[in-house]
Amino acid sequence: MQKRILTTCEFCGCGCNFYLGVENERVTAIHPSPSHHVSQGRLCIKGWQGHEYIHSKERLKTPLIKQGNGFREASWDEAYELIISKFNQIKKQSGSDSIAVLASAKCTNEENYLLQKFARTVIGTNNVDHCARLCHASTVAGLATTFGSGAMTNSINEISDAEVIFVIGSNTTEQHPLIASKIIKAVKKGAKLIVADPREIQLAKIADLYMCHRPGSDVALMNGMMNYIIAEGLADEEFIKTRTEGFEEFKNAVADCTPQQASQMSGVPIDDIKRAAKTYAASKKSTIIYSMGITQHTTGVDNVMSCSNLAMLTGNIGKQSTGVNPLRGQNNVQGACDMGALPAVFSGYQAVGVDANRQKFEDAWEVKLPGKGGLTATEMMEHAASGSLKAIYIMGENPMISDPDINHTEKALKTLDFLVVQDIFLTETAKLAHVVLPGVSFAEKDGTFTSTERMVQRVRKAINPIGNSKPDWQIIVELSNKCGYKLNYASPREIMQEIARLTPSYAGISYERLENGGLCWPCPAPDHPGTPVLHKDKFTRAGGLGKFMPIKYKLPAELPDSEYPFVLTTGRIGFHYHTGTMTRKAWALDREIPTGYVEINKNDADRLSIGNNQMIKVSSRRGEISIKSRVVKTIKEGVVFIPFHFAEAAANKLTAANLDPVAKIPEYKVCAVKLERA
Amino acid sequence: MTDNIYTPHLMTIKKVREEAEGIKTFTLEFNEPKLQKSFEYKPGQFGEVTIFGVGEAPISITSSPANKGYIELCVAKVGKVTQAMHQKREGEVIGFRGPYGNAFPFNELAGKDILFVGGGIGLAPLRSLINQMFAEREKFGKITILYGCQTPKRLLFMDEVERWGKQPNSQVLFTVDRADDTWQGNVGVITTLFTQVSFDAAKTYAVVVGPPIMYRFVIAECIKKRLADDHIIVSLERRMECGVGKCGHCQISGIYCCMDGPVFTYAQVKSLKEAV
Amino acid sequence: MNILKLEKSKLSGLLKSWNDDFEVMVPAVENGNLVFGNLGDYEPVLDFNGRPLLPPKEFMFPQIEKTFSFNAADNTKIGIETHLDNTKRVIWGIRPCDLKGIKTLDTIFLSKYVDAYYEARRNNTILMGLNCNEPCNYGFCSSCQSGPFANGDFDILFTDLGSDYLVNIGTKQGEKAVSKSLKLFKTATDADQKKASDIEAASRKAFKNLPAMATAQQRLPQYWDDVLWKQESVNCILCGGCNFVCPTCHCFNIEDVACDKQISTRMRYWDSCQLGGFTQMAAENTRPLQEERLRQRIFHKIVYTPDLYDGALGCTGCGRCIEVCPVEIDITHIIGRIKVK
Repeated sequence: MQKRILTTCEFCGCGCNFYLGVENERVTAIHPSPSHHVSQGRLCIKGWQGHEYIHSKERLKTPLIKQGNGFREASWDEAYELIISKFNQIKKQSGSDSIAVLASAKCTNEENYLLQKFARTVIGTNNVDHCARLCHASTVAGLATTFGSGAMTNSINEISDAEVIFVIGSNTTEQHPLIASKIIKAVKKGAKLIVADPREIQLAKIADLYMCHRPGSDVALMNGMMNYIIAEGLADEEFIKTRTEGFEEFKNAVADCTPQQASQMSGVPIDDIKRAAKTYAASKKSTIIYSMGITQHTTGVDNVMSCSNLAMLTGNIGKQSTGVNPLRGQNNVQGACDMGALPAVFSGYQAVGVDANRQKFEDAWEVKLPGKGGLTATEMMEHAASGSLKAIYIMGENPMISDPDINHTEKALKTLDFLVVQDIFLTETAKLAHVVLPGVSFAEKDGTFTSTERMVQRVRKAINPIGNSKPDWQIIVELSNKCGYKLNYASPREIMQEIARLTPSYAGISYERLENGGLCWPCPAPDHPGTPVLHKDKFTRAGGLGKFMPIKYKLPAELPDSEYPFVLTTGRIGFHYHTGTMTRKAWALDREIPTGYVEINKNDADRLSIGNNQMIKVSSRRGEISIKSRVVKTIKEGVVFIPFHFAEAAANKLTAANLDPVAKIPEYKVCAVKLERA
Repeated sequence: MTDNIYTPHLMTIKKVREEAEGIKTFTLEFNEPKLQKSFEYKPGQFGEVTIFGVGEAPISITSSPANKGYIELCVAKVGKVTQAMHQKREGEVIGFRGPYGNAFPFNELAGKDILFVGGGIGLAPLRSLINQMFAEREKFGKITILYGCQTPKRLLFMDEVERWGKQPNSQVLFTVDRADDTWQGNVGVITTLFTQVSFDAAKTYAVVVGPPIMYRFVIAECIKKRLADDHIIVSLERRMECGVGKCGHCQISGIYCCMDGPVFTYAQVKSLKEAV
Repeated sequence: MNILKLEKSKLSGLLKSWNDDFEVMVPAVENGNLVFGNLGDYEPVLDFNGRPLLPPKEFMFPQIEKTFSFNAADNTKIGIETHLDNTKRVIWGIRPCDLKGIKTLDTIFLSKYVDAYYEARRNNTILMGLNCNEPCNYGFCSSCQSGPFANGDFDILFTDLGSDYLVNIGTKQGEKAVSKSLKLFKTATDADQKKASDIEAASRKAFKNLPAMATAQQRLPQYWDDVLWKQESVNCILCGGCNFVCPTCHCFNIEDVACDKQISTRMRYWDSCQLGGFTQMAAENTRPLQEERLRQRIFHKIVYTPDLYDGALGCTGCGRCIEVCPVEIDITHIIGRIKVK
């Protein structure tokens, strides 16, 4: 007989809930939940039919230890012992900071919390990071600077009541379908939709204004808009005066970026820039929605801060249906950041460098903690390649597909003395490991995920771990205990209790309360209802004022030239999820898009005599791939697009590790490539 | 409780013959002696073939019912299941469900002149009908076979095709899109062969099977030669899974290709939205 | 058999009496959602509005179903094990739209070639309907002749008269089900039947903005090339939801899933004609555009199904496809556009 268990989706940051129907230890049905506030009974195809990977015969069922060119099965004890002896050896020889840990935006809050705790207590290093580095590090840094809090400022459902929606750098329909649902609802109610994207995404088809700007020209575009808003007297002077600081310096910075200038730099017609500016400024319910198109640049932080500037300029922040809304990709990338799986902060963004913070955690964890910020994920690869980083413990991440310049990543990982990978499949990264530990899917453990709107929701165990695999939190507890650092949690519930004790924004969160639905942080007390809208009366920034930042447009790091004449922009599609580890094992998704392709503008394709669905070669200064062509009219001339999900046509063989200097996020959205017939 | 229509019946591979690059013909016999005796099918029908551990694929039967005791399937290596099938050897067991689909209108063609037009692997189902007709030669009038492939290396069943051409009142014409060094015959798309044949439109039926792109052009030629819409017979291809009109994939407008087809007349196809 | 009457307070006991011999599925509420739940696990909610998001077709035609296991011990010997579900079930509280839906599925799965899996479940299920005393949020069943009251397709049919139910027995199976508990029932009077009639009339009257289904059925073929398909499908995110929640949708995909080197299972899964891969072949996709797929869905419900099955409409007017669509594609809105031209 079928049981139904309510849980949170394991794919994107919308945070939909549905019931897993389970019979005889197998998922046999999905039932949407009409009462869930975001999902409202609706799901995308990944939600409906993306879970078959759970029962794939390729699931890792036992620990593996490297032997020759392959692996041999091992017991948990043997695997643990090998890990501990290697870590101890490396610590002794080269110091704690020669070991790094990559946490997982797919795993639960409890697991991410435990893994950063393990790194800091057992290993003694702040070298903790995770894939947020590759996606929203710009957001965390940028919004923390301007607002004090690096997260989506408003809630998802408020979007349906917005009057003006500015979507820039987000293919919302494919990446966050249930958020696109709110946008479409708003448009049907009469809201104005402005879309800026080098590709004519599905939302552009119903937009009032679609701007096809050059990849990487976001600052120019937005500065042009803001210049015009100021010039036309459309700025919210009251808001600027009472709620912000730094306006004069910012105003000077955008003074010479007229719509005409902006048009030259971005390729968007002057009148469109003016219209976008006017439309956005005219409403007190204007909201900005952005994602990777803004963050994954060498100017990612600048791009994000420009969004903040725009919102503050018109007073569209701290109110219903307004805000600056980064759409966090992974189901729990927000949570992984909140839990301190970052090199410079503990949970709740409490800086490791601040003595009082460190003291608090030293008291709670009863061990001396390192105060120097650690390596970011992108720096880890550099240090691995140079030999100064000797070991990495990776949980639920696949940098061999998701890192920029993966030929370099491969060299880096192969240079390591010791690599531990904890995952549910033998991914491309796991194949390089010395020890592989089998974790479990979201259906086999309890925990919480934090969605993009900062909502903490329950993940509930529906079936037992497959084979001899273990819930990831349990693995970390056992490993920690074997290392001599005692952890004693009966269940994830108790881990959350500790998190709540040490993390002010999560202080009011408990499993008891979560039985009644999700809670939006900050939730500082057990009777606090949660905070859907941030920065209502004050910004969370010290001093309470929002900060305008003066930003000048800078070009992307690698521009097309005669040798590599195309701009490659990478991204995602709706049917697959990130490195494809899970979605490519679900028949419904694999059938839609079984392998990679490169989108080429028809005019470009004709010039190169490339037809549709032909194998061609795409190469950059980093590497080359063979991939099928897809000739379209919806991409800007001179730009090509490759989704990064497919190992056999890996987009990241071509991308470069050109990083934003502050956020250290790679410029996935711009690099130079050339196309040739195969 | 009724018999389970979805149960694959076990068949053993008796012979594997490489017809052309990426195309093999499998000769199969049922494991169950009762089924071996009782199995019947008509030219134009297909079966769902199971490669255990991999999946099922629809394959048309290329042998003709005149040959008793076995069936032949001609398989191109184009997907997951057919790739796995190509790895199979003599003596190995596969599954088979069928026969499914309607058949070529064998009896209605009696007394007529037949113009066969086969493109590429489209010859495989036609072969079933052609051999059955030659087994009952006296029932039919003039038989003309036009056969075209992309390259000479892709031509199938050539020994049989040549034998057909030598039959009384029968003619075979070949062509390839692109020749190689050895090819002496026609070069050009299949429609170029139409200039080399003449027939009495009132008495003639065309039976056409080939890749989707071919239909439009060949049908146009048939019409130019004054063939009536119901004298042009085609076999349409759709994604098929259950073979019994339930899974929905092969629907063409309101009908199921696996049950009301895959054989249709052009008169039917003309009025059927989504058909061609 | 006569038409019976049952005091409302006695229903719960009646349901429990079946629990020994049957898996009894009843309406229940879970996290605020109306669902069908097993009487053993859920507290029944017998007074409810509307219908659950997922139709009871799941009990006859599950989302994910194991059909066979194949044991390929070696390449020359294959063992085949069939998995049929003969669990005896009672489903109480099925709305008329869903009764009609099951009837349509019966026609598809049980005619010509009989689907053994559907048959096993269907033959072991007793359908107990509950008429709708008022329209639900999204429903337009009265314009599809499938509600708000059922006129067939049930084993037993309940009508809420206030403090009693009117109970119609529709089949021998239904008769057998109540035979052991006849003492709980009274015979319905003419007044009772009139009351039910009045409730039906009032319910029917309460529908607002009904789509003109009959006109649509006639006129749709003229709209084959109309621009409306492209316009209405512009936001479709290819989630498949409209097909999954539809009481008459029956398309499925067959996949052989290898469990290990030797054993594989043939699974079948719900499929959706709104997905691109639905018509994908090696060489081409015969329905590559979203507007073609939306058109297929609407035509299949309103034109093809009646053509194939003696006029029976393929849409039961339950409104679930509207409710489940993340971008609010609305069949009644599309039908409204057919009327206008």
